[in-house]
Amino acid sequence: MSEVEGMTAKQKLVYYQDKMYKDALEGKAKGELVCWSSSIAPCEFCETMGIHMIYPENHAAAVGAKHGALAMIEIAERRGYSLDICSYARINLAYMDLLVEEAKTGVTPKELEECPGPRIPLPDVIITCNNICNTLLKWYENLAVELNIPYIIIDVPYVHHWPIPEYTKEYIADQFEYAIKQLEDLCGKPFDRQKFIEVQEQCQRSVDAWDRAMGKACIVPSPLNGFDMFNFMALIVCARAKYAAEDTFNTLADELQAKADRGEDAFKGGEKFRIAWEGIACWPYLSHTYKSLKSLGCNMVGSTYPGAWSIHYTVGNMKEMGAAYCKMYSNTELAHKVDVITDVLTSTSSTGITYHLNRSCKLMSFLNVETAEIVKERTGVPYVSFDGDQTDPRNFSPAQFDTRVEALAEIMEENKNK
Amino acid sequence: MYTLGIDIGSASSKVVILKDGRDIVAEEVVQFGTGSSGPDRVLHQAFTKSGLTFDDMAKVVATGYGRFSVEQAQKQISEISCHAKGIFFLVPTARTIIDIGGQDAKAIKLDKRGMVSQFFMNDKCAAGTGRFLEVMSRVLEVPLDKMAEYDSKASEVVSVSSTCTVFAESEVISHLSNNVPKENIIAGVHASVASKACGLAYRTGLEEDIVMSGGVAQNEGVVRAISKELQKKVIVAPHPQVVGALGAALFAYDEAKKVQ
Amino acid sequence: MSKVETIVANFKAIASNPKKAIADAQAKTGKPAVGVLPVYTPEEIIYAAGALPVGCWGKATKTISKARTYLPAFACSIMQSIMEMELEGVYDDLKAVVVSSPCDTLKCMGQKWKGKCPVIQFVHPQNRGLASANTFLVEEYKLVRQRLEEALGVKITDEAINEAIEVYNENRQATRKFLEVAASYPQIITPVVRHAIMKSRFFMDKKDHTAAIKELTAELEAMPVEAWNGKKVILTGITAEPDEFLEILEEFGLAVVADDLAQESRQVRVDVPDGDEDPLMRLAKQWQNMYGCSLATDRDKKRIPMLVEMVEKYGADALIYCQMKFCDPEEFDYPLLYTQLENKDIRNLMIEIDQQANSLEQIRTRVQSFAEMM
Repeated sequence: MSEVEGMTAKQKLVYYQDKMYKDALEGKAKGELVCWSSSIAPCEFCETMGIHMIYPENHAAAVGAKHGALAMIEIAERRGYSLDICSYARINLAYMDLLVEEAKTGVTPKELEECPGPRIPLPDVIITCNNICNTLLKWYENLAVELNIPYIIIDVPYVHHWPIPEYTKEYIADQFEYAIKQLEDLCGKPFDRQKFIEVQEQCQRSVDAWDRAMGKACIVPSPLNGFDMFNFMALIVCARAKYAAEDTFNTLADELQAKADRGEDAFKGGEKFRIAWEGIACWPYLSHTYKSLKSLGCNMVGSTYPGAWSIHYTVGNMKEMGAAYCKMYSNTELAHKVDVITDVLTSTSSTGITYHLNRSCKLMSFLNVETAEIVKERTGVPYVSFDGDQTDPRNFSPAQFDTRVEALAEIMEENKNK
Repeated sequence: MYTLGIDIGSASSKVVILKDGRDIVAEEVVQFGTGSSGPDRVLHQAFTKSGLTFDDMAKVVATGYGRFSVEQAQKQISEISCHAKGIFFLVPTARTIIDIGGQDAKAIKLDKRGMVSQFFMNDKCAAGTGRFLEVMSRVLEVPLDKMAEYDSKASEVVSVSSTCTVFAESEVISHLSNNVPKENIIAGVHASVASKACGLAYRTGLEEDIVMSGGVAQNEGVVRAISKELQKKVIVAPHPQVVGALGAALFAYDEAKKVQ
Repeated sequence: MSKVETIVANFKAIASNPKKAIADAQAKTGKPAVGVLPVYTPEEIIYAAGALPVGCWGKATKTISKARTYLPAFACSIMQSIMEMELEGVYDDLKAVVVSSPCDTLKCMGQKWKGKCPVIQFVHPQNRGLASANTFLVEEYKLVRQRLEEALGVKITDEAINEAIEVYNENRQATRKFLEVAASYPQIITPVVRHAIMKSRFFMDKKDHTAAIKELTAELEAMPVEAWNGKKVILTGITAEPDEFLEILEEFGLAVVADDLAQESRQVRVDVPDGDEDPLMRLAKQWQNMYGCSLATDRDKKRIPMLVEMVEKYGADALIYCQMKFCDPEEFDYPLLYTQLENKDIRNLMIEIDQQANSLEQIRTRVQSFAEMM
């Protein structure tokens, strides 16, 4: 690990991410297996089998943040994909089409050549977990059919009554065994249970480091700004089963603590308000939303993202592991979702919250009204809602966003003076 | 023998009177569509100018949104078929039609005989239609018929990417308040319309020749933007606004011949 | 009126006035009503509780106003109109409402019920090949059963569920038989009539529906088959509502010879398997055996070959994809199906379905153009 010695957390983030994409591309060229995975699917199984992992949601977000979304989206629409479908899915399915075309013709399509996101190889297997949404099931079904490759499903049924029932955990645990069998068939080798334990242990250490780093947002004023959280998230998604994540997040936690000890905050003393952001980022407008909030002195310290990858379980316990992947707040009943968001507000001392009404994400939008009302009733924290989209740049209006957050800042100011 | 085709759209009414299925003796456009006085007025104009009357017409065929409201028509035929017929008559080498009207955008694929082999229409939203251009023309305070002129002077194409017309309006307003030249914004508006229309056109397979029709085809800025997006030559149909009415008149001629 | 006309008129009356139909069925059977939201619910458990399961599939030509507060514009129109009616108190006479969770929208709908009666939400497993998926679903069904018992104040026995399964299997078989026969009589079983017969299943005691549909089938079979000069189409999607859409099909001489609509044929596609085991396990296996539906995860997407086969089997001239606006499971299937249909030179048309249809003119244009193409 000498290459990373002395690196800052940000440098490590870039280094490790690049390395993973590079390793996957080179591995693919050598005939090694590549898996495409949803962002909160269990990575432990493929990691144990030595399969390279690529995360299409992350990749789509990166393409979006680098302003390459529209070109991909237009390709998906040509294929007949409705513009009402999740924009991550549209970007990825278009990207897949281009990769297939390249593989068939030997010529790199212009749109692929020009796509600003990192290059990724085609998968040999895909895995999805519907703890994020059921849309993933359909998206990956399309990948499986178009590419004619094995499709590992980890179905974590919607928890309409919290807590997660035992029988749900048993069903998930059984699916883990089936996933292992699918991988053994694919790889032509037995699943190494000892290595699996080691991978699980690494995941737990990575998650602990993630918790530690993200926990720094609770310090008042916060040394961490939430938009950095959006960026660092890439590594807890892509490298949870690797030392890379543990290393980077420990470095980040140390840096943030040192900063806090020096009495510095993320805005160089400009933290006027602490707010939470509910929902996915608007990647193509990441910089706009960040600057807009910053100009009002709003540091986004609260998010449900840290909790989403806080996947803890006793190593070796499949049922616990199943429950850990099932508990994503958007996969649970309204009352539990409200608890999670309330906890985010209180633990980060946020005095305002924005709800992203995300055109791409029905599951993370259709309970917003109820959630916002109950959370407000419970905490007294004011909220605003804005229209947007995670990566389709056509569904966001900077002017609307600015007006809403200005209104929020005014309400927070008033509350302060009360 | 005279036949008449009438195309009643959402924003305008069009009439073509055809002699022997070959020569256009009258073509009239009135900028009022279905439900208005437009249909009566456009018929009146066409008859006055040609000196003909309804009694001279062997057959009348109606098309467009208001096609079922024309009492004098013996037959109603959809605008998809009429546009295909009209375009094929005007440009026999056409294989792909892009038609942008007041509230619809369509892409039609033709076979060698000029028959429709597949077609795609926009979804309900106004983006990518004439209506969208109207809204933008109002916001920009540039008359519709001057939009192309502005576009031709653009030094760059600014992005107007919102799918939603309301959002696009606010996007344009914010460009205006940032003192972006209207020329560049208009080029962006045209590119936005082009991108929606091309989304439909790509699905036809884009066989050449590609021909544009509909009122919006008179806007060179949109035509240029479509051609640029598709990286292909785009021919503007002669009489683009009356192509549907022409097709209807041609169908009327076919009908009249059947009777004879 | 001929006998066929009388039966058809009765079905049409039921489908067009669910409120009266439900009141009539309740008066006749003395049963309380339990609502069932789309798409699949083990109605047998409700029936076994001595209640009348009633389908809640929204309402056509309903303007949406109150629901706008709770649902953004990008929720499908069925859920918009259900939400509107929840807020208007339309469902308040129901003893309970059962909500499945096969899509992201329904997950949320089960959590934001605004009606007065209790809501019973459950979830189907999506890793459907596994035995453990069936075991899981049995546990979910146990919950449904228990909550229904609480809501209705009754005990639901295994025996009663087994009997209900018989009633439902018979109804599914009779409905499938009818659909087969009806394909040869498009002059009588027009698209609107066909839909009314399928829709009335949701508002009748299934025994009564079975009896009526059997009678109609027998009457039809006794009639000579006349040549059909129009074209034949197959509908696929969630629903093909409102009726005005089906009237447009009629207007341009298109007969519906078969369908793969969630509201229609998918409801009767798969019987509950026979067996001596726990009736809830039998019901769970029905879900495992379900196929050809966008809401039942299928690694092979067999819906596509199924539809291609249907086109061949019924000699259909075309397939119409009834795309429920904002239904993403259906939106994902379309591009792959479209490619296959084009490869096989099967004519196809996509129509956007919206219960609050205000753009029927565009649909008319599309259908007419399509008919002219054929």
